[in-house]
Amino acid sequence: MSAAIGIEGVRIRYAGKLVIDELSLSIKPGEVLALLGPSGSGKTSVLRVILGFVTPETGTVRLDGEVASQEGRLLVLPEERGLAVVFQDLALWPHLSVAGNLAFGLNSRGVPRSERNARIRSILGRVGLTGKEHSHPGELSGGERQRVAIARALVLEPRAVLLDEPLSNLDVGLKRELLSIFRALLKERQTTALYVTHDLREAAALGDRIAVMEQGRVVQEGTLDSLRANPASSFVRTLLNDFSGAGTIDG
Amino acid sequence: MLVLSAAGAVVLLTSALPLARLLTEIPGAGAAALSVLSAFRPWLLLIRSLMLAAAVTACAIAIGVPLGLLIARTDLPGRRALWMVHAFPMFLPPFLLALGWFQLFGREGFLGGEVTARLLFSEVGLVAVLALTFSPVVTSMMALALLGMDASLEEAARVAARPWRVATRILLPAARPALGLAAILVFALSVSELGVPMFLRVDVFPAAVFARLGGIRYAPGEAFALVVPLMPVAIGLLFLERRLVGAGSFAVAGLRGMSRAPIPLGHWHPALAAVSWSIAVAGALPLGALALRGARGRGFGQLPQWIGLAPWTSLGTAVVAATVIVAVGLVLGHGVARRLRGASMLDALAVLAFVTPASVLGVGLIAVWNHPAMGGLYASVAILIVGYIARYAVVGIRAVASVVLQSPVHLEEAAAAAGARFWRRLTRIILPVNLRGVAAGLLLAMVFCLRDFETAVLYYPPGREPLPVRIFTLEANGPPPVVAALALSHVVLTAFVVAGGSLLVLRRRRA
Repeated sequence: MSAAIGIEGVRIRYAGKLVIDELSLSIKPGEVLALLGPSGSGKTSVLRVILGFVTPETGTVRLDGEVASQEGRLLVLPEERGLAVVFQDLALWPHLSVAGNLAFGLNSRGVPRSERNARIRSILGRVGLTGKEHSHPGELSGGERQRVAIARALVLEPRAVLLDEPLSNLDVGLKRELLSIFRALLKERQTTALYVTHDLREAAALGDRIAVMEQGRVVQEGTLDSLRANPASSFVRTLLNDFSGAGTIDG
Repeated sequence: MLVLSAAGAVVLLTSALPLARLLTEIPGAGAAALSVLSAFRPWLLLIRSLMLAAAVTACAIAIGVPLGLLIARTDLPGRRALWMVHAFPMFLPPFLLALGWFQLFGREGFLGGEVTARLLFSEVGLVAVLALTFSPVVTSMMALALLGMDASLEEAARVAARPWRVATRILLPAARPALGLAAILVFALSVSELGVPMFLRVDVFPAAVFARLGGIRYAPGEAFALVVPLMPVAIGLLFLERRLVGAGSFAVAGLRGMSRAPIPLGHWHPALAAVSWSIAVAGALPLGALALRGARGRGFGQLPQWIGLAPWTSLGTAVVAATVIVAVGLVLGHGVARRLRGASMLDALAVLAFVTPASVLGVGLIAVWNHPAMGGLYASVAILIVGYIARYAVVGIRAVASVVLQSPVHLEEAAAAAGARFWRRLTRIILPVNLRGVAAGLLLAMVFCLRDFETAVLYYPPGREPLPVRIFTLEANGPPPVVAALALSHVVLTAFVVAGGSLLVLRRRRA
């Protein structure tokens, strides 16, 4: 079975500076991969190259085996990739209601009205936002906006959802609550996901596997236990030591 | 890509084609070019025009920079009202203000005599009139840049330095891109200016071009030749714009309100308030003079006989042209902000058409559209619309680019990832999210079209002249009170458009 998302030998350069260097990654269908690394390690660039907002200078991006980007060419446009994204700033469209935010992508993908409404009702119920359909993002609390963002991504039933540090800047309590919602939703729908974070506790709480990035490269991949058992570098060891001291986030 | 190409085609067809056509006309006008350009006088005239424009720019900066700082960042009393009074004249054709100054300081003016008239009808008078007219451009761009600046920049400095030092060492240097853009804008408008120098009988280069197209010295070949030296001026201004300002120019549009604590003026308060208000009132004084002249000579009563269709032509063409300008600006401005391929080149062409002296662009438009195959268009008001789009496309592009740059790119990327194609993203996300800025761009484009005189005067269709052209042509022979009343009717029309548009934009903002 081919990987849901496959990256092979990808190199990305911004303004002459190499930000991703010969990076390869693979995410199996239904798997949640946590991409962990400090600021500036190139995590977000990996997410953007998968989405199709950045074209790799070299290397290939495949989605379910189909080549989407290759060697400086964008073969499948972002809107045709069947993915969904949750950005750090959530990027909720301020002029649309909660239902409007959810319906936008379904309309774009030609989902019939009856199915569209059913899907919106179902996902809003699942994230605890029933009754908020007509509210606008500006009228919601921080936690409610996070739920809208994840609902907007999952309502599309995408081939994979990409999450770019969606929980940074939240307090621990809210983070724990939302992580538990994310995990439950991703698992019950068997959704493939790439979760980008700089926080090992979030990575450990959500990821089936963790890929550690440093300076544009993946330096180690595996489960939390395998990373602990055999850290590949002093960088990974330091990350794990920090984590041991901090405790877990998912209770 | 199709949408971007269509918007690009509008810019190429209206702005770039006339300029390109001029280049091809010049060899054909070789003999005329040689005879005109081998003479000493045109070059002298060009140097004089450039020096006058430089003097206007320097004076406008000297007035606009301190006034912009006072309005945006100090506790000057009534600074919003001051800004409005000071800025309004820049929405009017400058020769209208010259007409007002004439009513005040002309030989038979309300405050005039032999000496004031001689001063007004000279280079000094020209520079003074234009500097007062264009200084609000500098003031407004400085004020907008200072208001849009991140508050923390200033607050970090206020902790360590006195307000005056913060203003001179932090705020003003940070607003340098806005000042650069304002200076280029004022210089370009001054070089283009035709109405004021012709009215004040000061010989300038654009008037020489105009005389060979619309005057008694009709010689189109010579007109083509005369635009040659102006083209390097335009390219030089474009180069300066790219070099000095570039993407920084967009920093001018971030209007975040005056929520920060203003810098206290202390014991300078009364003196600076008096000077600021004097400048603002002086700029608006000619409008009062026009009103008085119109009322005293019963000019307003005779308006219906003289005004004709001019206001409707002005308003109708401005509405249509501004709508096209903003539609093109929405696509290309978004492209510039998001660095889409080709958008920057089209933006440069639009900038070139704007900084190119209006007489050059006008001659180019005549060369392209005054053709038997285009007869219907050239003889109708459509040529006015084409001309406005050609010259002011940049207004729409820059207005949209500045607001799009301030809205998070993730809003569009989330829509693309959700499956929305470009047109759907443009109409459902980009336009609604940036609606206030787009509406402001529409208003600005309309005002530019309404105040245009220099471009339209070269090719307006017979009997369908816009209001500024009608006033200018009547000024020589018409009764002065009627001319004053006509000028004031233009002021009222502009005031309605600006006030109505601003209300809509502000209401949208509150909503």
